Amino acid sequence: MESKAGAEEAPKSGAMADLRYSLHLMSRNKLVLAGSVLAAGTILVALLAHVIVPASATVDDRAIRICWNNSLINWHIPSINVCPRPLPLGTDAYGRNLLLMIILAVPLDLSIALEIVASAVVIGLVFGSIAGYAGGIVDEAILRVTDIFFAVPGILLAIVLMTVLGRTIPNLTLAVLITWWPLYVRLIRSQVLSEKERPYVEALRAMGAGRFRILFRHVVPNSIYPLIVQSTLDIGSVILTVSTLVFLGFAPSNIATGQTPELGSLTSQGSQYIFSAPWLIIFPGLTILIISLGFNLLGDGLRDVFDPRLRR
Amino acid sequence: MKLYEYVLRRLALLVFVLLALAALIFYITRGLLPPAYALTQYVTPRMTSAERLILAQNLGVATSSCPSYAAFATSAKGCIVPLWGQFFGWLKTVLSGNWGYTVLPGYVAGTETTWNVFWVRFPYTAELAIGGTILTIAIAIPLGIVSATHANKAPDHASRVVAISGYSIPQFWFGYILQVVFVLYVALNGRGLLPVGGPLPTSCAICFANPGSVVTRTGFPVIDAILSGNFPYFWDSIVGLILPTVTLALTTIGALTRILRSSMVDALHQDYILLARSKGLRDRVVVYRHALRNALLPAITIAGLILAFLLGGVVVIEYVFDFPGVGQAAVLASTSFDLNFLELYVLVTAVIIVLTNLVVDVLYAKLDPRIRY
Repeated sequence: MESKAGAEEAPKSGAMADLRYSLHLMSRNKLVLAGSVLAAGTILVALLAHVIVPASATVDDRAIRICWNNSLINWHIPSINVCPRPLPLGTDAYGRNLLLMIILAVPLDLSIALEIVASAVVIGLVFGSIAGYAGGIVDEAILRVTDIFFAVPGILLAIVLMTVLGRTIPNLTLAVLITWWPLYVRLIRSQVLSEKERPYVEALRAMGAGRFRILFRHVVPNSIYPLIVQSTLDIGSVILTVSTLVFLGFAPSNIATGQTPELGSLTSQGSQYIFSAPWLIIFPGLTILIISLGFNLLGDGLRDVFDPRLRR
Repeated sequence: MKLYEYVLRRLALLVFVLLALAALIFYITRGLLPPAYALTQYVTPRMTSAERLILAQNLGVATSSCPSYAAFATSAKGCIVPLWGQFFGWLKTVLSGNWGYTVLPGYVAGTETTWNVFWVRFPYTAELAIGGTILTIAIAIPLGIVSATHANKAPDHASRVVAISGYSIPQFWFGYILQVVFVLYVALNGRGLLPVGGPLPTSCAICFANPGSVVTRTGFPVIDAILSGNFPYFWDSIVGLILPTVTLALTTIGALTRILRSSMVDALHQDYILLARSKGLRDRVVVYRHALRNALLPAITIAGLILAFLLGGVVVIEYVFDFPGVGQAAVLASTSFDLNFLELYVLVTAVIIVLTNLVVDVLYAKLDPRIRY
């Protein structure tokens, strides 16, 4: 963090060197590398999903529902349906290619998660920096509001909200966001608190810089590393929460039934056939695990890379 | 500030947080819906409209000058108490323990109270959460110690991958995977090894065929079995907890391991560790008596967070394992619009979490002489 504080006024090459040093540390850490590959792969699949999967793939074909034809995996289930043609992951309850349905589900889950994390970061930046910088009664008031949300399990509050508001995707996004923003307020607040005691803030104040200029041009940018780490980790956690809620049926009916593929609902759709067709559950859930693992590994590794104590 | 002053201050804060949460939940479940919804769980099918009007007035939703139930139902002018007034009426009603009748499926309308339904189911959830806590502590502490004493070596990397995987796994998925594995592939005498549905299943190989029944004294199946001296019932209710508990604890095991590792690494770099080592103390004494004791302190501060995770996690775990606790009922309550059940669930959970946080903070001050309030 020390170097970043200096880089503010330093020539551009200083910031570039800092970035290059970060990338160097990242490339040396195998877990970060694995996380980056998984996260980048997820984003790539999400971007290309509608190009890879033809529109005709979503059409039901009841004749070949819940069948398996991939000789690499033998399920040892006696009365298994064999598909007429080879399919990598068999078909789902609507007779559609399960692999293509999983690919189609990725952009939906990822975009909801990104919306939630991005909104939580913005709310956290605004209220967290105000609380940390203003202190006193403003700080106390904002902290007490966040206390309320830490006293109740997020998923429970989200369920109550969705019961009343109705099961739509915007409401799902809103419900999870309402349980998630206080974390960022606390994070930014503590960053700003420790940052504002540093000598450079005093120097800026002596130079006559305004409060908002100091806060948003200097203090907040210097607090950005923990924010990057936390939001990367949270993309993984939010995808888990969102898919869990959809799995429990908190989604519009076309998504909750798996007609429009989503990773949580694909899993719940398969839960009826758990002992006769386990692939219906295994692969959508495994996809959630891989995506979440990617962002969590990346975030965890970034914490090491950005940790000022380990940096020098 | 003295310790008791601190505790008093915290208690005042606790009451504030609970009241504010109650207001938030009231606003969501009552303020966002038409006023007539407030009556749904208090009316019985045979009530006349005159009785319904009196009920609405008693609940503090309709004003005393409201002429008829029809006027109330159409939200006529001057018939509805302002929202803040309704809040106090609601608070008075629910604090006296009147949570209305349940509308959950499986109960005849207007026969069973929400309060009773909640507390019959709650012990099952509590057993799960306690089991989850025990498992989290039993696995995360050794794992955290090993990672810290072997920091940046193979055991540390392995435990890091285990921990991160723990909080990347979708719990609902892992619950089903365990069921598939133990029923479909790991079979004993042609039957699954561990029970998969409910706390007292009969379809498993190492369970007793007929555990009999116990007298319900506490509502906790495990404790009732001990009190009744029914060993088969005790064994079955313990075995029935295994798979749900393992699934539930995954996330918190990962989180606690990571936190303990970092506080333990910090502790191992302190001067007193260097001193202890230079005195020639054995490695085991240094790690367990000096480093671990200090490293555990920061770790117990997240106890409230862990409990919140466990008490929220039960919703999906109970759904997947068909476990008759409050979490499973929360999903049912949402579909059948049993708002009182959800309110009660949120508030009871919140009381447990804030009390845990208070106890942890006081304990922290007691254990760490450096902290003075």
